[in-house]
Formats: sequence, C-alpha cells, structure tokens
Amino acid sequence: MFLAIKEIKREKLRYGLIILMIFLISYLIFILSSLAVGLASENTQAIESWDAKQVVLNKNANVSMSQSLLTKDDLSKTKLTKNEALLGQTLVVAKNSNRPQVSAQFIGVKKDQFIYDDQELIAGRKAKKDREVVVDQAFQTKGYKLGDKLELNGSANKYRIVGFVKNAKINIAPIIYGSLASWRKLRQGMPNIKASAIISRNANYNYNHANSKTYPIAQFIKKLPGYTAQNMTFQLMIGFLFVISLIIIAVFLYILTMQKMHNFAVMRAQGIPSRTLVAATVSQSVILVVVGVIIGLAAMWLTAKVLPAAVPMSFTPQIILSGTCGMLLTGIIGSLIPVRSILKVDPAKAIGE
Amino acid sequence: MAVIELKNVQKVYGTGAAEVQALKQIDFKANEGEVVLIMGPSGAGKSTFLTIAGSLQKPTSGQVYINGEDIANISAKQSNALRLNQIGFVLQAYNLIPFLTVKEQFELVDHVKKQGNLNQATMDKLLEQLGITGLVNKYPSELSGGQQQRAAIARALYANPKILLADEPTASLDSKNVDEVGQLFKKLAQNYQKAVILVTHDPRLEKYADHIYEMMDGEMIKKQ
Ligand SMILES: Nc1ncnc2c1ncn2[C@@H]1O[C@H](COP(=O)(O)OP(=O)(O)OP(=O)(O)O)[C@@H](O)[C@H]1O
Ligand SMILES: [Mg+2]
Repeated sequence: MFLAIKEIKREKLRYGLIILMIFLISYLIFILSSLAVGLASENTQAIESWDAKQVVLNKNANVSMSQSLLTKDDLSKTKLTKNEALLGQTLVVAKNSNRPQVSAQFIGVKKDQFIYDDQELIAGRKAKKDREVVVDQAFQTKGYKLGDKLELNGSANKYRIVGFVKNAKINIAPIIYGSLASWRKLRQGMPNIKASAIISRNANYNYNHANSKTYPIAQFIKKLPGYTAQNMTFQLMIGFLFVISLIIIAVFLYILTMQKMHNFAVMRAQGIPSRTLVAATVSQSVILVVVGVIIGLAAMWLTAKVLPAAVPMSFTPQIILSGTCGMLLTGIIGSLIPVRSILKVDPAKAIGE
Repeated sequence: MAVIELKNVQKVYGTGAAEVQALKQIDFKANEGEVVLIMGPSGAGKSTFLTIAGSLQKPTSGQVYINGEDIANISAKQSNALRLNQIGFVLQAYNLIPFLTVKEQFELVDHVKKQGNLNQATMDKLLEQLGITGLVNKYPSELSGGQQQRAAIARALYANPKILLADEPTASLDSKNVDEVGQLFKKLAQNYQKAVILVTHDPRLEKYADHIYEMMDGEMIKKQ
C-alpha cells in the first residue's frame, strides 16, 4: 500500500490517465447497464406490478399475449380465485386532437379481479364504466390530463381518462387500462372471445383445457417481442467493456512494471520481500479502479439526475454493486499479469548494470 | 572477528562452450571496523564477487560465511532476511527508488523491518555527517549525483547492517567529494563498527583502505 500510494502521488499524470480511462469505461458500463435494466423493466414492469407467476394463453399463440385469444370454450373449465384475473390485450393508437398520438397497449380487465383491484393510482380514480380508462403516467408526461378523451384506433367511441397509474408499461408501450368489454369491442369480431390470457399470482396455477395452455411467467417474458435480443445485445456490450478494461489495466500495469524492473531488482537486493512488491502492484490496481469507479458513479448519478424521465434508465443499487465488484475483479485479475514478472526479478541484476 | 569470509569460492556462468569462470578459488575476509577495497579491470569478476558476498547469488562451489554462518545453501527467504538485516548495498546508480523521497526510502525499510533500524537521533547525526539533512523531502531526480550517492549510503545504513557493500561508490563524484566519501566510509567503519567493502576502479580511495585486494580474470590477490 505504501509503495502503491507514494508512486501514484509521484506519477500523477501517468496514473491520472489510467484513472481517466477506468472512469470512462465504468461510466459507460453504468450507463449501458442502467439502460438495459430500464428498457427491460419497461418491457415487464406491468407484469411485475401484477406479481404474475403463471400465464394462460392460447397454445397456438407462440407464447405471445397479443396473438392469443381465449374463447368461451377454452375458458369453460376455469376456476378463478382471487389470484387469477382475465385480461385482454391489444395494441392501439390513442388520439386526442390537442395532444400527441401515443402507441399504447390496451389492457382490458374485470372490475372484481386483482389486476383492477391492485392498480396503484397516482392521480384520479379507477375506471367504473366501460368508456372510462386509467392510463400509464407516460400519458401525463406527454401532456394528457384527467378528463381528456381518447380515440382508440380511430374508433367512434371515445374513452375518458379518469386516472393515472404508475409503472404500467408492457413491451415498452404505456398501458391503457379499460374494461374487458371495451377490449372485445376493440377486437371487433368473433363473439366468442373472452380474453387474451389468464394471469395468475399463484405459482402452482395450471389450466390446460381445449386451446388453453399455462406457461411460467419467465418463459412468457423471454418471448416478449425483442426482449431477449435486446438483453443479449446489452450483455454483449457490457461484457466487452469489462474485457477492454481488463486489457487496459493489464497492459498499463505491465508496461509500468517493465519500466520499474530495475527498481524492483534494487529493492529485492535490499531485502524487500517480493510479497511487498506484488502487494504494491495489486493494491495500486485496486486504488486506480476504486478511484475511477467512484468518479464514474458520481458522473452516473449526475447523469441520472439531469436526464429527462422519458429516457428509460434505471440506475439501481444492484448495478452499482455488480458494476463496482466487476471492475474490482477486473482490476485484480489485470494486476496479476505483471505479477509473474515481479516474482521472476533477479536481485543480482541490481548490481553491475 | 571476520564478519564476512569467502573460502574457495568459485562461480561459473553458463555451460559448455559458453562457460565463463567468473570467480576462481576466491578467499576473502573482512572484519568489523575495516574498509576493504577490491580493485581490478573490467570483467575481472568484481560485480560477481559482490553478488555472492551480498547473498544475491549462490556460488558454484565453496563457502560464504556471514557472522560465522555458512550462507551458501540458505533458502531464498533466509537470504532475503539476511540482506534486509545484515547487508547494506550502495549501488552505482539508480539505487534510490525514483518515486520515493529520501525520507520515504527509509520509511520503506520501516514497513518491512519493524525493529533494529537506526533511531531518529542517530539518523539525524548521520544525515548531518553526510551533509543531506535538508534534502530528506526531495526526490532522487531533484538531487545531484553526489547527493544521490550520499542518500543511497544513508539508505544502506538505515537498517543498521554489519556489512556495507558498495559498487563504484565514487563513479559520479569529483575529487573533493571522493575524499569526503572516502573519509565517511572510514568513519562509518570505525565509529559504527561496520565492515565496509568497496569495489572500485578509483585509486583515490586507496588511502582510506585498511586492506586492498586486486582482482584479475576471476582471481583475487591480497595486496595490502
Ligand atoms: N550473468 C552472467 N552470465 C554470464 N556471464 C556473466 C554474467 N555476469 C558476468 N559474467 C561474466 O563474468 C565475468 C566477470 O564479470 P563481472 O561483471 O563480475 O566483472 P566486473 O569486474 O564487475 O567488470 P566491470 O568492471 O566491467 O563491472 C565477465 O567475463 C562477464 O562477462
Ligand atoms: Mg561490475
């Protein structure tokens, strides 16, 4: 530690550059992770707010709720407890002559079931009639007000906003909660259809009758359009950043170690154990990473503060923890590469050169 | 008493056609309180001698005694401790750590050797004798060659070793400084009871020596 700190103090420019590099990389890691988590949660936050465990869909729908239709026949054997709710989903474009258009997910629910009961309103009240809807806060940020009327998919019927809910997004689109009856009207057609899905909060719920099939929620989320591909893209980028930071730390420390070889030989000749020299290199790397990451965290914190709410970033404690630990690990591994050379220093080289 | 003694020491580098007999049957002895000079032309084996006497390398054959103990076959760890506690090196150049101030060079010793280092009063006196009292907060690159050399001597003495091994200690000094350093080594040997072994080309140091050895082609002859 002594040697590590003294050297960083003496060679401020050199180590400042490494810290700058680590800061930039960790900042990028934090941004990408926050974006990944933010986007992932915009895909799933409604599902999470329902606390869904199982979902029943039409077995021919390829595990996609928007493709799924359950008929009266499919649902004929269901026993719905307070942990199950019927739900109808369809993609709509919401219009109001004074406001911007919004692509949204219309979710029809039944009044006596938990998805309706558990809605967390941040303004207004719950929908009581078929022509009333409760919408995601994204509408609010776009300028919509309570009492505004929405035209959905160019329908003649207008739906009045009576409330705003928090965290109601699915597959990145804000949700419009209405009644199941309205949903049936929006789907226009087949008189037999009852819902798109049954959502259950019971992990053991299982219902497989006619075309109905039950899927665990994890499988359903994985199949959300674009969800898996998007997550993998982020993981790949973040993984690459860790590899890059590993290479940068290793290469820099290796070059610096090579330059110090003679000093190491002198210290070994003076009886300084190689353990001390190894500890100096490893702790140097840890110090550089810690300082770089702290600056990265501060920059990220500022970024998260100034960014508009519309940017789907969520800078969670978990990101802070795993990003920091990941960088630390990278730093330690990176510093082990020059350690090999330090252990091989020949103290006799200190003399006669 | 002989603090350091080499008996029948041989050192061979390489094998076969590349074999070099750097030291042939060396016998050597130095006592507490003595300044011993080792002189000789380039390639004679002087540095090789220092590395073996300083436990930086093992001899090919023969015995090396330090305080009466044979160190020819000690472990790397023991040899490390021996260098830390018993031997002070004053090397020709770069033997100060560039990113530590003079004072921090001493502190580094405190970090690995907790006891037996010179106390503050002795150190202050030594620094004064060396004429570098005001320079303790400077980095080596901020010192002149002579000041660096004296700081290196202070560093070597800080761990209070019995033996001081110096390689060309006057290489970068002018005549006046050579005399100062020569007197200093003499004083160190006498006042602090060290065995001071100086490898040098510099005949100006001869007048401070108690004994002089001459090296040539790996052989050592006692001249004085
Ligand atoms: N590591 C080594 N491997 C092989 N041969 C070596 C090695 N070190 C020294 N030698 C050889 O051993 C002989 C003695 O070398 P040494 O460095 O001890 O001489 P020296 O008296 O210190 O010379 P100088 O005054 O130039 O420093 C030389 O012939 C040299 O080439
Ligand atoms: Mg030499």
